Amino acid sequence: MVKNMLATIRPVTLLLTTAWLVACTPEPEATEASIETPAAESEEALVARALAIHDRVLTLDTHADTPLRMIEPGFDMGVRHDPNESGSKVDYPRMQEGGLDAIFFAAFVAQGIRDDDNKSRAKALGLQMIDAVLASIEANPEMAGLALNPDDAYALEKAGKRAIYLGIENGYPIGDDLGNIELFFDKGVRYITLVHATNNDIADSATDSNGPEHGGISEFGAEVVAEMNRLGIMVDVSHGSDDVFFDAIEMSAAPIIATHSNARALIEHKRNLSDEMLKLMAENGGVVQLTMLSDYLRVAPENPERVAALAALSANTRSAMEMTQEERSAMRRARYEIYQQFPSPPATVSNAVDHIDHIVAVAGIDHIGIGCDFDGGGGIQGVFDASEVMNITIELVRRGYTEEEIEKIWSGNLMRVFRDVQTVAAELQAGETV
Amino acid sequence: MYSPHGWRCVALIVLLMQCDALHAHPLQLSLTQIEYADSDSRLSVSLRLFLMDVNEALVFDPDSTELAFCQPNESPDAEPMLLAYLNEVFFIKVNGQRMDLNIERKHLTGSGIDVALVVEMSQSLAPPLSSLEIKNTVFTDLFPGQTNIVYVHVNGDNQSLMLNKKTPTHVMQF
Repeated sequence: MVKNMLATIRPVTLLLTTAWLVACTPEPEATEASIETPAAESEEALVARALAIHDRVLTLDTHADTPLRMIEPGFDMGVRHDPNESGSKVDYPRMQEGGLDAIFFAAFVAQGIRDDDNKSRAKALGLQMIDAVLASIEANPEMAGLALNPDDAYALEKAGKRAIYLGIENGYPIGDDLGNIELFFDKGVRYITLVHATNNDIADSATDSNGPEHGGISEFGAEVVAEMNRLGIMVDVSHGSDDVFFDAIEMSAAPIIATHSNARALIEHKRNLSDEMLKLMAENGGVVQLTMLSDYLRVAPENPERVAALAALSANTRSAMEMTQEERSAMRRARYEIYQQFPSPPATVSNAVDHIDHIVAVAGIDHIGIGCDFDGGGGIQGVFDASEVMNITIELVRRGYTEEEIEKIWSGNLMRVFRDVQTVAAELQAGETV
Repeated sequence: MYSPHGWRCVALIVLLMQCDALHAHPLQLSLTQIEYADSDSRLSVSLRLFLMDVNEALVFDPDSTELAFCQPNESPDAEPMLLAYLNEVFFIKVNGQRMDLNIERKHLTGSGIDVALVVEMSQSLAPPLSSLEIKNTVFTDLFPGQTNIVYVHVNGDNQSLMLNKKTPTHVMQF
């Protein structure tokens, strides 16, 4: 209880409280809280303590679109990339640098027309992405290994390797053939995000401009969920409409996950989960994995320098309709320079941990995790790429989270769900009623 | 009080009020599909581009309605300006020959900041298709971090690739 209360205290409050305690209590009792947050701890000592915790716990990120990078000709996961030069957010050396032990690489196929030809193509493209991940592991055996079960990540961590799990973002590649789910499972897929930015045959998207089509999960989608339960594939509701969330809770025989979603109470966005949903997630035994997409974490602040620079640029040129092609090209280059010089102020680690605090307050410490969405738009100030994820741990420690709580956030909660999903699958396969 | 620069200040304020560059979709991404089958003897190309990005690239205002793509009042300059831009940043070479870009159809899809302009092009092509060279640097001259996904479907062979400023072109052999 004390730990949970501390978890919601902001750093300044914590500092003042600690200072007051030091001043007023000559010989403080060695409570658990005082052991976890030593009085008058220097910033240097706090960071050292946080990094030690970061090193000890298994750190797992449940959502990265890095397979998109792996299909870039010549991209090598075994080489460290400069994110500012290449835009890439994850490679094996940077995972090691950031102390990121495990990750789910999501094979993403953009939603297309839902006819037989295109479904068959989507399946082929999904398999190609999965093969690209497997090839990157095979090419870097000293740095990474394929993980299929929860225990694999701990074993790989012990061996000094990154644990690579597979997921699929968007159930479109399943087409209308339930047999494809087992094919993907056999390839190593352990979660499937039912739907992406627009509706598919399985479920409604939170963001389809045409609105809901099935009123949540379709009849075929219910069969998909049942087959995922049977096989032991986690049901991911991120990107789904609210009704998809409620249907998944109702339909799934095993706890569900949201691999990259935040708290709607803090940022009103269809992709984020309301407090009602967070509470249901807790009752379900599932987990919400917090994502590092700036627009889901905070209201975008003003960028007056950029606005002024763009305005000054426009003020000194004639109307775009009157420009020659060369002038337009020059204008684009000039705007590119301005965007580079004055990037949109990203969300901060503090914004992200505000969401963690809120989810902990509403759903409890057992229902929150981390899914950064690197290479899919994720990356904030302080957690710009995989090499910086330790800053999440530092902020958690700063806010009074204990090592036990941090372990749950970084991997314990997701692994609990993963095991539950496997247990349910074993029971279903044994013919038991769940 | 007199200020020789007063009119410039007013102009700047008006521009600042009109400028909404912070109001953007979160992903700098485009999607291209290239399809060919010997049986059709036709190469089809479809580009899906965020409309805000198109407007920004052509008239430097993401929210501009001046070109009015796919609207009854679409500007006669809209397609020529788009084609001129695409010819700078995008090409497909089929068996070593650069494909002429001619827009056959286009439509809008999605809503709000996620509205996409879908541009469709095609050309007849006698088999065999033995190589495709694809360049796609759409919007990489405008946005740092822009990436372009390309799906290629040739005679039942399906492949995807990502092109960007660092890796602008790729050659595929069949």
